[in-house]
Amino acid sequence: MSSAMDMQNFNIINDPITSEPKIIARDVNVFYGASQALKSINLDIGANEVTSLIGPSGCGKSTFLRCLNRMNDVIENCMVEGRINLDGIDIYNSGLDPVLLRARVGMVFQKPNPFPKSIYDNVAYGPKLHGTVSNKDELDERVEKSLRRAGLWDEVKDRLDKPGTGLSGGQQQRLCIARAIAINPEVILMDEPCSALDPIATAKIEELIDELRKRFTIVIVTHSMQQAARVSQKTAFFHMGEVVEVGETDKLFTSPQDDRTQGYITGRFG
Amino acid sequence: MEQLALFFALLFLTVLGFILGKGRAVALSGQSDQPLHSRLPYYGLYTAIWCGLPSLLIMAGWMIFEPQIAEILVKSQLKEANQSLSADQLSLYINDVINLASGGILSREPDESILEAAESYHLFKQISYFAMAVVAISVSLVTLFGSLRKISPTLRARNKVEKVISVIMMISSLIAILTTLGIVLSLIFETLRFFEKVPFFDFIFGTHWSPQTALRSDQVGGSGSFGAIPLFAGTMLITFICMVIAIPVGLMSAIYMSEYAGKNFRAFAKPVLEILAGIPTVVYGFFAALTVAPFFRNTGTMLGLDVSSESALAAGAVMGIMIIPFISSLSDDVMNSVPQSLRDASYAMGATKSETITKVIIPAALPGIVGAILLAMSRAIGETMIVVMAAGLAANLTANPLEAVTTVTVQIVTLLVGDQEFDSAKTLAAFALGLLLFVVTLSMNVVALKVVRKYREKYD
Repeated sequence: MSSAMDMQNFNIINDPITSEPKIIARDVNVFYGASQALKSINLDIGANEVTSLIGPSGCGKSTFLRCLNRMNDVIENCMVEGRINLDGIDIYNSGLDPVLLRARVGMVFQKPNPFPKSIYDNVAYGPKLHGTVSNKDELDERVEKSLRRAGLWDEVKDRLDKPGTGLSGGQQQRLCIARAIAINPEVILMDEPCSALDPIATAKIEELIDELRKRFTIVIVTHSMQQAARVSQKTAFFHMGEVVEVGETDKLFTSPQDDRTQGYITGRFG
Repeated sequence: MEQLALFFALLFLTVLGFILGKGRAVALSGQSDQPLHSRLPYYGLYTAIWCGLPSLLIMAGWMIFEPQIAEILVKSQLKEANQSLSADQLSLYINDVINLASGGILSREPDESILEAAESYHLFKQISYFAMAVVAISVSLVTLFGSLRKISPTLRARNKVEKVISVIMMISSLIAILTTLGIVLSLIFETLRFFEKVPFFDFIFGTHWSPQTALRSDQVGGSGSFGAIPLFAGTMLITFICMVIAIPVGLMSAIYMSEYAGKNFRAFAKPVLEILAGIPTVVYGFFAALTVAPFFRNTGTMLGLDVSSESALAAGAVMGIMIIPFISSLSDDVMNSVPQSLRDASYAMGATKSETITKVIIPAALPGIVGAILLAMSRAIGETMIVVMAAGLAANLTANPLEAVTTVTVQIVTLLVGDQEFDSAKTLAAFALGLLLFVVTLSMNVVALKVVRKYREKYD
């Protein structure tokens, strides 16, 4: 826990929002070329709970999310400064292979993006890649378990060999969640997972998120404040690349401390 | 020359029609309270089309049928004069008449009847031209004023103009289709004539190719044997060598350019690679014949191998180089169009770049890649110049790439170069080979389409 002690030396702007943080971000700055997207972000992500990131478009919440599994590495001329610790290990500077990091920190994207493969192969992609299953039976079992956890098993069990792209939008997104949890990650990042879905599919995903919280730490970016209120325990409000306010979801929505938060959640801007 | 003058007169009338039509529409929009159906230029176009199209069609039809009518006239006149002429002689006579009338060179001293016929032919031409001009211009004027009168606020000028334009576009697309059909039909008919002389199975399954036949009875020549197997074997051998080189190199360069190369390198390398496709094949041909083939032969000699100075290997290797850009450029485009979201999904699963390429991008791009390979392959099969220069003419039935082989295209060239006799099996064989080659490449394209449809992994 020496690294956790180390963290105490950073000045903490916001209240420490959780007693057992899974991820600790300190003084994170992100630049795209010359423009700064995130300005010294300090944020803790609690284990086994849902943290939602809200804020107007372009405020940096997706950028921050993509810092957590180093997906920003793929983007040219993107530079990340500061420290992000996952279970006390600095994910940027400790020589941790981003490939292994991403096996621990899964991600679900805004638009459902199943591979143009069969439903089975979509879910089996990760386990095969990381060699976490030793034979076909185990793989079958893993696929079934992941699809069950994603609440999709009953709908697709008879057509596992059909292309995943043939499913409806909501089913595709649940397939993507099943694909992400098939490698047993510790954290799941969700980047507006419901923005391309209708209300019924959205309700299913939200139910699922609540269910998944028992096993996984979840960070979700959302534009819907109702969604943030429904699914998350903690909420962080981003504005202009900064974390303006962070706290218990109930408190943040009922009695925001900052004028900007107040303005945003009451719909005056953003 | 005179026709050109008439053409420009009609064109002038068409432009006039546009101006008048538009002017009338402007006048109408000023005086009537009912708004015009279409925008003003459409009324101009409407009159222009009515004014120009029928008269130009009449002129075109006239110019197509006039020579035939003139010929019939001359023929009947000559027949009266010389009853004894055979059909061949008659057509020669008619040629002379037409040549005389247009100031050309005659095959004999003109006699009385020819002079007379030429005179009347000339006269007919003049009358015909005059009549054509009168008819075309009057039709043009009549349609011009007729269509001007029809212009009213309720006239759906835009719909009519668009209809005419869509018909013109349809005819344009038909031209390509009909040309293809014509080529195929001519191939089929000449091929049928060939199979009257040479049995079908001798051609398809024969293993000996030696098309030399005696043209005259006093000539010494082979009896001619037309077994196409050695030619197709040679074609396949060279195509195989070509693809063995082009597929791996092309695919790897495509993967490098779409996935690994930086923007700057790509912007530079892709056009340069495409220049390879723009080099005339004859240049590749002498490169193959003068540089690569001797190189292979010398290397072979050093290694104690017997390499022919015109070898399948040299032709295939150079052709492979030529084909690379077809594969690399098309595959690169296909792989580039695989959406970023799929790459992101794979990376987010903890896949490395190479795993993402082999497990996600290539499968998603496979239909396009297969299409590119098959396109390149039909290009290689039909390629002529390189093999003419570097592969040789000897129809050896061999699988040894170090020997000289010949291909279908090379044999078609050699069969049709020089003086021809159109009823000998030797000449007709070229058509049969052409048809067979066409069938092979066509079926390859059909298979390619089927494969692509079946294995298309739709990403959307």
